[in-house]
Amino acid sequence: MTSLRAGQVRLNVERLGEPGTAGRPPVVLVHGMGPDSLADYYFTIAAGIAAAGHGVVMYDQRGHGRSERPATGYRLEDFSADLRNLLDALGIHRPAVLVGNSFGGAVAVDFAVRHPHRVSRILLIESAPPVGDWPQRMSGFLSHCAETLCDAQATDRMEQEHGRFVARLARRTRPLLDETTLIEDIAAGRIPGEDGLHSLAVPVLALYGADSALAASAPALERLLPDCRTVIVPGQGHTLLVDAPRTVGALLLGWLREDLSRPERATARARTP
Amino acid sequence: MTNCVEETGEAAVLARITRALHTVLGDCAPDPGAVTMETRFVEDLDLESIDLVVLTGELRAAYGDRVDFPGYFASLDLSEIIGLTVGHLVRHVVESLR
Repeated sequence: MTSLRAGQVRLNVERLGEPGTAGRPPVVLVHGMGPDSLADYYFTIAAGIAAAGHGVVMYDQRGHGRSERPATGYRLEDFSADLRNLLDALGIHRPAVLVGNSFGGAVAVDFAVRHPHRVSRILLIESAPPVGDWPQRMSGFLSHCAETLCDAQATDRMEQEHGRFVARLARRTRPLLDETTLIEDIAAGRIPGEDGLHSLAVPVLALYGADSALAASAPALERLLPDCRTVIVPGQGHTLLVDAPRTVGALLLGWLREDLSRPERATARARTP
Repeated sequence: MTNCVEETGEAAVLARITRALHTVLGDCAPDPGAVTMETRFVEDLDLESIDLVVLTGELRAAYGDRVDFPGYFASLDLSEIIGLTVGHLVRHVVESLR
């Protein structure tokens, strides 16, 4: 584990596998918002991806895990600029596979729209496409979380329903929610929008849990993206990555093998209106 | 490869993990004598999952590729990670070094 400066912030980074082994693309794992960190990947799918011969990069996004938590600078474009600065700092210039969990998917999509030549494909896990009123919905959700965490009765209920571990993780997001401009910044961010998604030619595989409210966005995502396939995983909710890591890992590696053996597929499909 | 007994026995690995905990937790580190094989990382020491990743980073620096930490954690489900004791990790290290 290392800490490195990516632009203005210091980010905590963990790498597995040999970068560039057997010519396979590097895989960069982008975690979600709030209590999430690179640990969500380290404890689930990262080792399997490295074992399949990919160099794996995980990092804590700004304000999360063991990375720096600046007081301001939490627009979506700040997060995707961190990803660009991180890849620059690591000397990764060849197209990478991006994996984005929940909010991390919005970061991955925003990065790919801004830097299409640096991305070979994207796996989205339980991620809402950053279009329409995404900034307001996301900001509203974070605002609701901040209020809930101030309410001792509500956090006690959370502990009863989900256990001490989950409640403690949630309480630890309070500095991010209370002491930074995250909630305002997310609302004010510039999202790729529908035009951005239309322009994204790289193949995208999007996974949703059947019991998650986000599963309803699967058809819209397939319409918006030129080359997108969605998979709904039965019996799973929003925490698909941590609850069904073997399923997620197998779907990702199967998809990578399939696409690596047919490199012309993305180009051909992207040209089809 | 030969490893001396002091390096690879349970007591030595426990001592190494205790030192690594000190590095990870800094001022919040437990008194070394308070860490036993039964101590739980999350429930007793209040480690966050990211702290566990940092801990394994410390241990990878000590043991190199002889011990597969990411693979070990990937084999556990969330409830097993929450209940993970120092002893579980010690035994994984000792068995890997054998």
